[in-house]
Amino acid sequence: MSTYILRRLGQGIPQLFIISIILFMLMQAFGDPVATLGARTPTKQADKERLRRMLGLDQPAYVQYLTWLVGNDWRKMDLDGDGTPETYGQRRGILRGDWGNSLVTRRPVLEMIGDRLPNTLILMITAEVVIITSSLAIGLYSALRPYSLFDNLITGLSFVGYSMPVFWLALMLMYIFAVNFRRWGLPYLPTVGMFDPEVGKTPAELIKHMILPVTTLAIISIAGYSRFVRSSVLEVLSQDYIRTARAKGVRSFQVVLRHALPNAALPFITLIGLDIPFLLAGAVVTERIFAWPGMGRLFIDHTARADFPVLMGILILISIAVVIFQIITDVIYSFVDPRIRLG
Amino acid sequence: MKRNLYLLLSLVVSASIILAACGGAVPATEPPAAEPPANESGASAFSGTATITFTQEPDNLNPLYTTMFFSGITRDFWLKALWSFDENNQPVPELAAEIPSAENGGVSADGKTLTIKLREDINWSDGTPITADDFVFTYEMIMSDKNIVQTRYPYEDYVESVEAQDPQTIVVHFKEPFAAWLTNIFSGSPSAGQGVLPKHVLQPVFDAEGTIDNAEWNKAPTVGAGPFVFSEWESGSHIIFKANPNWSTPPKLEQIFIRIVPDDAAQEAAIIAGDTDIGVFLSSDQIEKLEAGGNVKVVAVASGYTEGWYPNVNPETAHPAMLDVNVRKAIALATDRFTIVKDLLDESINPVSASFWDNNPPYNSDLKPYPYDPEEAKRLLDAAGWVDSNGDGTRDKDGVELVLRYITNDRELRKNVQAVVTQQWSLVGIGADLQNYSSDMYFNGYNDNGPQAQGLYDIAEYSDVGSFPDPESSSDWLCDQISSADNPDGLNWQGYCNPKMDELLKEQATTLDTAKRIDFYKQIQQLMYDEVIFIGMWKDPDLWSVNSRLQNVTLSGASPFWNAQEWETAQ
Repeated sequence: MSTYILRRLGQGIPQLFIISIILFMLMQAFGDPVATLGARTPTKQADKERLRRMLGLDQPAYVQYLTWLVGNDWRKMDLDGDGTPETYGQRRGILRGDWGNSLVTRRPVLEMIGDRLPNTLILMITAEVVIITSSLAIGLYSALRPYSLFDNLITGLSFVGYSMPVFWLALMLMYIFAVNFRRWGLPYLPTVGMFDPEVGKTPAELIKHMILPVTTLAIISIAGYSRFVRSSVLEVLSQDYIRTARAKGVRSFQVVLRHALPNAALPFITLIGLDIPFLLAGAVVTERIFAWPGMGRLFIDHTARADFPVLMGILILISIAVVIFQIITDVIYSFVDPRIRLG
Repeated sequence: MKRNLYLLLSLVVSASIILAACGGAVPATEPPAAEPPANESGASAFSGTATITFTQEPDNLNPLYTTMFFSGITRDFWLKALWSFDENNQPVPELAAEIPSAENGGVSADGKTLTIKLREDINWSDGTPITADDFVFTYEMIMSDKNIVQTRYPYEDYVESVEAQDPQTIVVHFKEPFAAWLTNIFSGSPSAGQGVLPKHVLQPVFDAEGTIDNAEWNKAPTVGAGPFVFSEWESGSHIIFKANPNWSTPPKLEQIFIRIVPDDAAQEAAIIAGDTDIGVFLSSDQIEKLEAGGNVKVVAVASGYTEGWYPNVNPETAHPAMLDVNVRKAIALATDRFTIVKDLLDESINPVSASFWDNNPPYNSDLKPYPYDPEEAKRLLDAAGWVDSNGDGTRDKDGVELVLRYITNDRELRKNVQAVVTQQWSLVGIGADLQNYSSDMYFNGYNDNGPQAQGLYDIAEYSDVGSFPDPESSSDWLCDQISSADNPDGLNWQGYCNPKMDELLKEQATTLDTAKRIDFYKQIQQLMYDEVIFIGMWKDPDLWSVNSRLQNVTLSGASPFWNAQEWETAQ
C-alpha cells in the first residue's frame, strides 16, 4: 500500500510541473495587469513602463515562469530604468516556499489565500455535508419507491433545480427571504456578508448569514446528486444477490442498508473524491452574490486585474489538492471494495 | 461483514475530518471582536454605524500604491489630505491652515513656488504631530526607485523639490508654473491626490527593508489622520474605521463599516433591505426600485465624467471622410442623442452634453449640443461630395464607401447605444462598422495594440474626465502627443493637431489665475465644438444611494466623504 502511495505521489510531481507550465502559458492571455490598475482612468504611459520594469513584467514569459518557480534573488534587476541592472531580485520561487506577491495588493499570495480559505471552507463544507446527506436520503427514498408520487415529484423538482442558473436562484432567494420578508414584517434573513456590523462576529450571526448561500449551493447540487444515488441504488437493487438476500428472508431494512447501499455508494465516493479539492476553490457565483469573502471571489477579482501570481497560487493549490485527493479516494476505494487491489 | 465495517469506518473518518475542518475553521473568522455597546452606557460620545457598500475591494490602503477610486474615497475617513473638496467641489482646508493663494502668499508671483502652512492642532492618531517632514518623506517615497508606486504624476514631470521650511511650512518648487496643483499636490481627490504618509511609522520600515512595498501599514494603517481611524480589514469582507476621539473635529458616529459587495444586483437588494446605508455606481434604471420604500434617496453627484465620442482625425489612420469638418458635423447632426438619453438613460440625470468639460463647473461651456437634424446632415454630406452613387444605401465618394468604424468597450449600455446609432445613421446613408473591446485592451497604448492608440477607428466612445476637479487633460489634443510607431507613448489618440489649440492648452496649463484659466477653457471648448473634435453624448454623474437613517451626508464629486465627521444616525 505505502509503495503504491509513494509511486502515485512520484507521478504527481511531474504532473504538477506540466500543469504549472500550461497554466502559466494561459496566464499570458489574461491581459495587461498595469493597463488600468483598477482605476477609472487608464494608467499613464510613463507609469506603465516603470511598473512593468519594476514588477518584472517586461521580461520574456519563460524568465517570468522561472522567477515564479525558483526565484530571482541571484539576478540583478533594473529598478531605476537606466538600462543597467543594479538591484537583486527579491523572489525565492514557489519551490523554495515563496508563492510570490500579488501585483495588485503587493501582499504575499499565500497570506491572501490564507485569509480567504477558512471562509470558503466553512461555506463549502457545510454545503457539501448538506448536499451529501440530503441527496443520499432523497436518492435512496426515490429508489426504494420508484415511480411513486414522491419519486416523480422529486424527479420533476430535480430538473427544475438542475436547470436553474445559480445567480438567478441566489438573487431570488435573497429577494424573497431577505428583502420581501422584511417588507412583509416576517422573520427575515440578511442579504449579504458574514455578519451584521451592529451585532458583531458571533456564531449565531454566521449561521444566519450562511443559510441563503448554503441553500443556493445545495439546491443546485442536490438535484444532480440525488438522481445519481437513485439510479445507482436502483441498479444494485435489481442485482441477483439482493434477490437472494430477500429470498433468504433478510429484512428489507437490512437488505438496503447492508447490501445495497455500500455497493451503490461506490461510484458516489468517486464523485465526492473529485469534488473535495474543488471545495477549496469556493463557489464563484454564490460567493459573489452573497458577498462571501471566499476563494471564488479572490479568483474572480484577481482575474479581472490579470494578477497572475494570485491566480497561479490558487490554481496550483487546487491542482495539488486534486492529486492528493485522487490518491486518497483510490485508497479508500480499496477499503470499501475488496475487489480492488492496489499495488 | 468486514466490508461494511470498513465502509462504516471510512464514513466515520471522513465525517470526523469534515467536522474537524468545520470546527477548526470557525474560530478563524470570529476573533473576539466584542464591540462595546456605545450608546447604552453613555460612556462613549460616539454612536451608530454607517454601512457602506463598495462594489470593488480596495487593493491597498497606502495612497502611493493605488489609484483605485474605492481606496481613494476611504481617505476622507482616516487620512485627510491638505484639503478636501465640498459638495460644490470647492477646497476645504483639512491639514492645511488655509488654501494657498496669491493673496495669502501661498502661491508665488511667478507661479513656480507653493508655500503651504500646516495647522498646528493636528496630530497623527497616535499623538505624534503632523509636520512638514511627513510631506517631504511622502515625496521622497514616491520618487524612490526602491518603491514600486502606482504613479509618480505629477511629481516626476512637474515638481522640482518638496522642502520643509519649518515644521509647519511645506514649500513645493515647480519646474514651471503648474496650474493643476490644487487637485494634484497632496490633495483629497481620490483619483489624483496622494495623501500623506506618517514618517515616524514608515521611515523605520524603509530603513530596515529598503522599501515600503511590503509595509504592514499598507494594509493595516492603524496610524492615520482623520475623524476615524483604521480598525480592521478582512480581505473580501469588510473594512472598519472607528471614531478617532483625538481628531480636531471628532465624528458623531462610532464606526464606519465598509462591506465589499461585488454584485450589482446584490448591492441593490442590500440597499432596499436597509442592510447598507450608502451605495455607489448605481444606474438610472435602478432609481425607481431603490426609492420605492421611501427610506432611500438616490443622489447624482457630478465627478466630471462625460460620455463622449472621440472622432479620429489622423490622416494616416482615419477614414478619409473623417478629415472633413463638415462630415464630422453631419455625424453629430445625424445622431439623435436626445432620444438615446431618453430611452436608455434618465434625461434629467444624463442630459446630452456639448463639451468634454460640461460636467466640471466652473470650467464647463455654455455651448448647446448639436441638434438632431438629419436633413441638414444630408445636405452637408451631399455638399462634401459623399453621395450614394451605386445605390447600395450607403454614401460613397471616389469608390470609398462611407462606412465608419464605431468602437467602444464591451459595456452593455454602450452596445445598445451602438445599435440605436447604426439605425439612425442608416437614415442619412452612413454605414457603421461596430467593434467592441475589453476595457484593458481598449485603453492600451500603441505598443500594446490599443485600438484607439493605433487609430483603428473613426468614432470611439467612452466616459472620461480631466484630473477632477481640475480640468487638465491637455495631452489628449496636443500635436506632439499624437500616438504613432515613433511616439508610442503619445496620448493624443485622435491625431488632432492645431497650432491654435496647442497654444491654448499650453497657456492654460501654466495659468494660475482661475478666471483667466476659465476663459482659456471657453476658447478651447469653442474650438473643439467648431472643429467637432469631441461630440458629447451625455453627462455621466455618479449615482449614490443614501438611506435616510444616516443624516448630514453631503456627498462631493471630488472627495465624496469629506464631511463624514458630521454624519449621524437618526434616533
